[in-house]
Amino acid sequence: MLRFALRHMATKRGKLALIALSIVLSASVALLALNVSNQVRGGIVRTAGYYDLIVGPPGSATQLAMNTMFFTDSPLGTIPYEVVERLEQDPRVAEAVPFAMGDSFNGARIIGATAKLLDGKPLRAGEMFGATFEAVLGAQVASRYGLKIGDEIVTSHGLAEHGAEHAASPLRVVGILKTTHTAYDNAVFTGVETVWAVHGHEGEEERGEEEEHGHGEREVCAVLVRTRGFNDYFRLMEDCASDASLIAINPATVLREVLENVDLSARIVYILSAIILVMNIFVVAVVTMLGLYDARREIALMRLIGVRMRTIARLFLLENFLVGALAAILSLVGSRLCIQVLSGFASSMGIVLNAGAVYPAEWGILFGVLALGVLPTAALSQRMARRDGLE
Amino acid sequence: MIATKGLTVRFRGEARITYGDLTFGTGSCALLGASGCGKTTLLNAIAGVLTPTAGEVLIDGRNMAAAPQREKDDYRIRNIGFIYQDFKLLEDMTVEDNLRVLKLERVDVSGMDAVLGELGILPLKRRRVRKLSGGEKQRVAIARALVKRPEVILADEPTGNLNYEIGRQIVEKLLEVSRGRTLIAVTHDDRLAGLFDRVLDMNEIARAEVDDDA
Repeated sequence: MLRFALRHMATKRGKLALIALSIVLSASVALLALNVSNQVRGGIVRTAGYYDLIVGPPGSATQLAMNTMFFTDSPLGTIPYEVVERLEQDPRVAEAVPFAMGDSFNGARIIGATAKLLDGKPLRAGEMFGATFEAVLGAQVASRYGLKIGDEIVTSHGLAEHGAEHAASPLRVVGILKTTHTAYDNAVFTGVETVWAVHGHEGEEERGEEEEHGHGEREVCAVLVRTRGFNDYFRLMEDCASDASLIAINPATVLREVLENVDLSARIVYILSAIILVMNIFVVAVVTMLGLYDARREIALMRLIGVRMRTIARLFLLENFLVGALAAILSLVGSRLCIQVLSGFASSMGIVLNAGAVYPAEWGILFGVLALGVLPTAALSQRMARRDGLE
Repeated sequence: MIATKGLTVRFRGEARITYGDLTFGTGSCALLGASGCGKTTLLNAIAGVLTPTAGEVLIDGRNMAAAPQREKDDYRIRNIGFIYQDFKLLEDMTVEDNLRVLKLERVDVSGMDAVLGELGILPLKRRRVRKLSGGEKQRVAIARALVKRPEVILADEPTGNLNYEIGRQIVEKLLEVSRGRTLIAVTHDDRLAGLFDRVLDMNEIARAEVDDDA
């Protein structure tokens, strides 16, 4: 029956292709919305979990969180390195990691920190940066530019893709991180001293500009802090609040607000997708009914030569199942291709999308697509099969 | 062996056709008669496409007129090769597909190439029916009827759409390939009827009357 169904479908391939396309378009949008919002939420949760306090210069809390957690946006400014040293010595602090940013490599941010920033992020190759001018690459940066251990990269001044190059002070690749599906995949990590040294290599004429970025002196953009407990966290937060030259934020709180915005956007897309899907159910149902109406000559013919109505109903059901299955597969492939295309764009904003990730709810949508292809025919076939007479 | 006894069939809900008792054995039989005298209706009743209002259609002793539709369908697709005047082919599908359609009910079509070869249309096997001439379509319809090696072949004006010469070739081929089976064919053409073993004048056998109950 399958072979005959495929041949029969080939005779009306134009019509079936349009039906499949309409299902694929709406289902792909739904899959895309679901997948991307889940990945963004997952990325935020994974990233925000480790540090409970971020200390930086006064300004937008969201900007500070996005800059230090996702390496997006510009730094708020700089704070003296003494703040880092003070926090390192503070008994309430379990860990304080300096965070400097200002340069880039083909658009990927150069993050100056200590090796502690990469705790929990295993290396795929090489070793952690130690000496000045050593760098560890995020997985995407390495694969995108075909970089390997021992290669040298020339960074550009500023965060734009085509800033002035620091050709005199290239960074040597000593390690490459495993893929994390976070913003870490799209960044280059080095010691905070390297960030200072790169700018120390430049001429005096640049000094004024350097100081704007905080590289001229021992300055950093922020400090990522992990306190020893709740009490320490609250007291440290109060201390920072009393210092007008600093702000301290809880990244989880700030990112939760970001997440709510993401959720709201995703919810709107879900509702729109659901409306499109429901409209499609009606369209497919009407098209199926019209298709069976068109096929009444064929059905009568098959009945005349002795093919039972139940068999004919099964044939049409199989054909629509195949259309539904094809639409489901194409929806999945289409949404993955969109994610692949989007990931390049999103990674520049610190969001790394994994085209291979499939969430359980997506299987639900695909099952719905399959049902969409089959249910209208199943209902009609049932009616057809009951009216098995020839006269 | 096919026999009808006291057969009455309502025709298009308006007329009633009553047939005298008939028997068909191995060999060919032409049903000759004027339009509307009940030739096609008789074939449909034998094939189980129409259910008689009275009487019996006995096939090897079993009254198929009283059998459930499912059994009639099953008998028709396996044991009766029905050739329709207007071919009744799936126009958008290939010649091959029009024979394979029988496989939907698990009918053996393994002799397809042999039958198509015998009818001289094997080279057209993968051609769409829509692109064939009338004579070629008629051959496809005959091939579909013969491929399952049926016991009974019913042909409803198999040459109705063809000119005499082509019609004669088709009838001769039909008689040749149905040798040793029961062939009942409807025709208007006396010249073609003469090629059959037996000719029945349906004007004498069937009586049509307006059905007052309709």
